[in-house]
Amino acid sequence: MFSLLQSEWFKLSKSNIIYILLAGPLVGLLIGLTGNESIFPDEVNQWTGALLMMNLTYALLFLPLITGVLAATICRYEHQAGGWKQLLSLPVTRGKVFVSKYMLLMLLILAIQVLYLGSLLVVGLIHGYTDAFPMEIVWKSIIGGWVATLPLVALQLWMSLLFKSFAGSFAVNVIFTLPTILAINSERFGPYYPWAQPVFMMNVGGDTSSTFFIPWEQLLMVVGGSFLLFFIGGFIYFQRKAV
Amino acid sequence: MIGKLILTDLMKIRRKGIWFLAVLGPFGVVALQMVNYGLRKDWFIQQDTYSWFYYIRNVNAFTPFALVLGIVILTSFMASIENETNSWKQIIALPVSKWSVYLSKYTTLTILLVFATCLLTLFSVCFGIFLGLEGEVLFLDLIKYSFYTFLASMPILGLQLWISIISQNQGIPITFGVIGVILTYMAYFLPDWMIWKWPSLENQWDEPLINACFGLAVGLAIYVFGMLDFIRRDVK
Repeated sequence: MFSLLQSEWFKLSKSNIIYILLAGPLVGLLIGLTGNESIFPDEVNQWTGALLMMNLTYALLFLPLITGVLAATICRYEHQAGGWKQLLSLPVTRGKVFVSKYMLLMLLILAIQVLYLGSLLVVGLIHGYTDAFPMEIVWKSIIGGWVATLPLVALQLWMSLLFKSFAGSFAVNVIFTLPTILAINSERFGPYYPWAQPVFMMNVGGDTSSTFFIPWEQLLMVVGGSFLLFFIGGFIYFQRKAV
Repeated sequence: MIGKLILTDLMKIRRKGIWFLAVLGPFGVVALQMVNYGLRKDWFIQQDTYSWFYYIRNVNAFTPFALVLGIVILTSFMASIENETNSWKQIIALPVSKWSVYLSKYTTLTILLVFATCLLTLFSVCFGIFLGLEGEVLFLDLIKYSFYTFLASMPILGLQLWISIISQNQGIPITFGVIGVILTYMAYFLPDWMIWKWPSLENQWDEPLINACFGLAVGLAIYVFGMLDFIRRDVK
């Protein structure tokens, strides 16, 4: 298992993955520096205000979309010139290949989340925030957003195994991500839509009266449930896939 | 020659779900309005905005966004047909010039996008009539808002096609496209000169025609630049 992860890592280091990872903080900076954070009242912590504003675009669009790009990237070598045959003729089980690819993807998403936190710090430094930095941001927003991508990554890995081309799996991703814009405005439907979970999970503030406050149990049920569905679906598909 | 190349390109995209995407895109934009009007119909009537004028603007709020995403997907797809199977060499080896290969890809994409734009106009008219909005049907406005948006997004089309065709790894154009989509989403905050703002048809003069004209001119310029670069390049 460990050597499989290591080989995945080798393949990765020769691809242009670093540019894709850097897109995360770039988008964070873009929104953070051009956006208007004075929409929040003065009593809101400056860091929290900036994060909430940045999250509106980042968690809503960027994070779900980039999971698909990353998933397609780590399956790229295998799709080219019979790579699946070569990889699967090694003494490894298909299950282990699937799990190691999944673990690597989650690591990459974590890296993007940490880089995004970095971009928030840079935005704060440039704007010269004087408020204390709330550590809650790190735990709730960065880690919470990461957990919320668990099912999305599982589905995108499945789609990337299925489609040879980037465009195919990306199209599926877009079809599911776009309705999020409407879903988060709906109190009834939003909490159950897996693609809307990053927005909810990355939300900070803990104000129970705000529309975006969703109980943890419900979030974990939706995220956990859809994760199991997509992960098992992808796992079974890969077991049966003809290479 | 160019006609035959376009025919082969159209043949290559058959039964790959591309036409389906070209239908799904405009349908999705109108479907978002179905949800919007389905949930908030009373609110629109109350606000006195239950009319064609506001309906067209509501539809157009999502069009740029869907269009740019569509461009990213379709351009990457067109390039990956040759990239995946390493068949650029085969095409270039045929007795065709390199510029016509590029032009044929561009034209095929334009055909797909114009098709989607026509469908968008059709779908929005149908749903608008179904809603029974107040006042006359503003056909001119509908056509204007659909086709101006398409013209205004032509620079993005040229840029994405160029990046897709020269990239071995399609992750690069798609990531670039995702950033473009985010910029389109934030169009309100962007300065007028950025091409990602143009599809929103917003500018400081409040005249959508300017965006469409600039879109067409700059779009063709980027296309020519991409084509010249493609001619110079070695194929792998």
